Amino acid sequence: MSLLSPKFTRRTFLISAILCSTISTAYAAPLKIGYSDWPGWVAWQIAIDKGWIKQAGVDASFQWFDYSASLEAFAAGKLDAVLATNGDTLVTGSAGGRGTMILATDYSSGNDMIIGKAGIKSLKDLVGQSVAVETGLVDHLLLINGLKKAGIAENAIKLVNAKTNELPQILASGSVSAIGAWQPVAGQALKATAGAHPLYTSADEPGLIYDVLAVSPNSLNKNRADWIKLTQVWDKVVTYINDPKTQSDALKIMAQRSGGGITPESYKKLLYGTHLLNLADNQAVMVKAKGFKSLYGSTYFVDKFNVNQGIYRTAQNVDSYIDPKLVQGK
Amino acid sequence: MARAFNPHYRLPQKLRWLLGAASFLLPVLLWCAVSYLPFVWHPQIKITDPGGVSYFEADMRTDRATFELEKSNMTAQHLAMPQGIAANPVYLPAPHEVVRAFYTAFTTPPAQADDPWLHQSLWHSVKLVFYAFFISSIIGVPLGILSGTSPVISRLTEPFVEFFRYLPAPAFGALMVAILGIYDGPKIAIIVIGTLFQQILIIANTTRKLDVGLMEAALTLGASRRRLLTRVVVPGILPDLYRDQRILLGWAWTYLIVAELIGTSSGITWFITQQARYQHFDNVYAAIIMIGLIGLGIDLLLAWLGHRLFPWDKSR
Repeated sequence: MSLLSPKFTRRTFLISAILCSTISTAYAAPLKIGYSDWPGWVAWQIAIDKGWIKQAGVDASFQWFDYSASLEAFAAGKLDAVLATNGDTLVTGSAGGRGTMILATDYSSGNDMIIGKAGIKSLKDLVGQSVAVETGLVDHLLLINGLKKAGIAENAIKLVNAKTNELPQILASGSVSAIGAWQPVAGQALKATAGAHPLYTSADEPGLIYDVLAVSPNSLNKNRADWIKLTQVWDKVVTYINDPKTQSDALKIMAQRSGGGITPESYKKLLYGTHLLNLADNQAVMVKAKGFKSLYGSTYFVDKFNVNQGIYRTAQNVDSYIDPKLVQGK
Repeated sequence: MARAFNPHYRLPQKLRWLLGAASFLLPVLLWCAVSYLPFVWHPQIKITDPGGVSYFEADMRTDRATFELEKSNMTAQHLAMPQGIAANPVYLPAPHEVVRAFYTAFTTPPAQADDPWLHQSLWHSVKLVFYAFFISSIIGVPLGILSGTSPVISRLTEPFVEFFRYLPAPAFGALMVAILGIYDGPKIAIIVIGTLFQQILIIANTTRKLDVGLMEAALTLGASRRRLLTRVVVPGILPDLYRDQRILLGWAWTYLIVAELIGTSSGITWFITQQARYQHFDNVYAAIIMIGLIGLGIDLLLAWLGHRLFPWDKSR
C-alpha cells in the first residue's frame, strides 16, 4: 500500500481529526471557579443568571462552596480559581497552592466587625477582657489593627479562638466581652444578643481586607484571554448593582443565591458593607504603593501580620502574587 | 414487677406496641411542655413593641433581666415601655413550627432555579450513603469473614485495621479532595473510611462466634476449605452478619454530615448549614428529623426483610 493511496490519506485524516477534537475538548474544559457566600462574591451570580459569561465567549463554571472548603479544593489543584481574601490567598500560597490575584472584587467596608456586648463602649473597655475570633482569619487582623490604633497592647486582651459560625452563640452565652466576625454571621450575632453593637468595623479601615479573584498560575498562563474577558464581565456586574434602576433586581438575585431566608431588602445592608470595585477602580488599586488604598499595600500589611502571628514562617513575595495587567486588558 | 426486669420475658404483643409508641410520645410531650407552658422554662422575652428602648427591635429575643432593667429605665425616663412575651431561645422552636417547616421545606421551590428541591437533595444524600456502604461492604464483608476464619489472615489484617479505625475520618477531607476531586468522590471516600474498618472487625468477631462444633463436624465429614467457607461458615453466620450490617449502615449515616461539608456544597447537609446560618432552627430540626425517619424507615424495612430471609433465626 502506497503512502499516497487514497485509503491511507483518508484514514490519517480521520484519525488526526479525532485526535484534534479530543485535544480541543480537553482544552476547552470549563474554567472551574469556587465561590461562597461573601456578598462581594455572590455578586457573580448576576453574571451567571444573566448569561453574561457565555455571551463574553467564556466557558466557566462557578462551583458553590463553603468558604474554607473552597480554599482546600483550590489548594489541591481542583479549581482554576477561587474567590478569597488577599490574606487567605497568601496563606494558601505559602503552603503551595499558589494563586495570582488578577482582580479585586471589593474591599470590606463594614461587613467585618468587632462586636461588643452591652456595656462595652469602645475597644478601650476590652482591656483585661476576653475576645473571641477565629485566629488567623481576617477578623483577627481587624482586631489587632483596631487595638493598635486605639493604643492598646495585643496582650492586654485575652484572645479566645473559635469557629466563625459559632461566634454568635459564644457572644450570647456571655462568656466573652466581644467577638470578631464577618457578615452574614456578624448580623446574626447582633440580632441574637440584645445590646450587642459594633465597636470597630472594616469601614474604619477601608482596604484592610480586599477580596480577590485568585487564579492558578497554570490556568492563567493557558487561558489568559478568557480571564481578561471575565474581568470585563465583572465590570458589567458592578455597574448593574450600583445602578439604582437595576439594583433591586441585583439584590433579588444575590439574596436568592445566599440560600432562602434572607430578603432582598435585608441583603442591601450586607451589600453596603462591601465596597465593590469596577475595572477603573481596579486599575487604581493595583498600583504598587504603601497603605490600604493599594492592593499591594494591604497585602504587604497582611503578609507581615501572618508572619507575626506565626500563620506561616517566611514572608511571601507579595509582588509575585499580583498581576495588575489583566484589568488593563493585557 | 419481677418479670419487668427479666430480659428473657417476652412482653405481650399489645404492650410491646404501647411501650414502643410511648418511647416516642414521652420526648414529644416533654418538648410540648417546654414549648407551650410558659412557667416550665421560657427564659427569654420576645419583644413585640420596642417602646423607647433604642436597641430593641420587634421579634428580637432578650433575657428577662435585661428586659426588666430596660423597663425600669424607661419608667425613670418617662418613655414608652417595651412590650414582650415570654419565649424560649431561638434554638428551641415549638413542635408545630417544626411540623410546619417539615411541610414547607418540601413544598417551597428552591430559591435558585438550578438548585435542587429538598427531596432531590435528600435523594442525593441517600445515594451517597448507599454507594459508600456498598463499596465498604464489598471489601469489608469478605475480609471480615476471612479474618474470622483464618488466623493467618486475621493477624495479617486486624492489627493494622485496629490502628486505622482510630483515625478520624473527617481528618482525611482535604486529602480526599486532592485525590478524588470536588464532587461526590471525596464524600463517598469519607463515609467508607468511617465505616470500613469497624466493619472488618465486627464481622470478623461475628464469624469467630460461630459454633466450633459445626465446623469440626464438617471437617470430619471431609469438607474442603472452600466448601467449609461457603457451605458452613457463611450460612451459619448469615443472620448475625445481616444484623451487623444493619447497625453498620447507621454508622455510615453518621458520617454523612461531615462528608458533605467536603468539596462543593450538596445534599441535605447544605440545607442544614445554610438554614442554621440564618437561624431558621425550625428548618434545621425538620431536616434532622427527616434523616432520622429515613434511617429508621430503612432499618424497619431491613428488619422485616430479615424475618423473611432467616426464619430459622431465633436469637432476635
